[in-house]
Amino acid sequence: MKWVTWEFIGVDRMGCAWLILRFIDKQAEFIFIPAGSTSIPENCEPFDIPGVRLSHRGEHSTFHTILNEYHLDDPLLHRIANIIDEADVAQNVILERIAEGLDFICRGMRLISANDQIAVERGQLIYEALYAQLKSEAPQ
Amino acid sequence: MDTWLLFIYKVPNEPSARRVYVWRKLKGMGAILLHDSAWILPLNPRAREKLQWLASEIKEMDGGEAMLWESKQIFTGQDIDLVQQFVNQVDTLYKDILNQLQRKNPDLAALSRQYQLASAQDYFQSELGKKVYETLLELRRKGES
Repeated sequence: MKWVTWEFIGVDRMGCAWLILRFIDKQAEFIFIPAGSTSIPENCEPFDIPGVRLSHRGEHSTFHTILNEYHLDDPLLHRIANIIDEADVAQNVILERIAEGLDFICRGMRLISANDQIAVERGQLIYEALYAQLKSEAPQ
Repeated sequence: MDTWLLFIYKVPNEPSARRVYVWRKLKGMGAILLHDSAWILPLNPRAREKLQWLASEIKEMDGGEAMLWESKQIFTGQDIDLVQQFVNQVDTLYKDILNQLQRKNPDLAALSRQYQLASAQDYFQSELGKKVYETLLELRRKGES
């Protein structure tokens, strides 16, 4: 399936792309449209664009919404959703100490990537690492 | 600094929790209230994104309206006063931390957290911020020795 989002991805969209490729659609293709644009190409699933099905809901990130829409109940993924909520949405109560660091690294990753496709590929490694580390700390 | 983020919104009076919610978010980012409901922040990608989402959250509320603009000043010099307001605002936070650091046995863990929250809204690299950072470092070193 083709998935579409705004260009210049950050912490939330990089995480969503990982989530989609890893758990929802292994053949996912990503298309990037200019930030602010609301013309969605046909036969594409838009995400992290205001007003679409897969977007922020209240104080929650798009990553959080995708988890719920696709009924993914892995507690580690929900933990990552909380981290992204704190990194991406202006929250006042901060519980996840890695949130801000993750946000910085994802922004920096986009800065050193020539385009969003490359940033998505590299983002896979960041989120795979985060997932593995959380797994290693989770009670057995 | 000649480009700014202007955020203008309207949220119904009731329930008041929603007004408080939006207000807290803007304060948390260190935005400055220019007029009734016109807020301003220096342009930066992070704040821009957060305000974009806050605007879409407000629009989803019943009767909520929000607009976000990138605006350039037309009269030169308007920014000087604004920059100073941002610096003063964050300096108030830094001064409070410095005062607490000068007391006997300051709670370095709590104060370092306060420093982090303040530095998240330090848009113009306040000198006082550097001083707080240095002081915290120094006190930590002393505590270790």
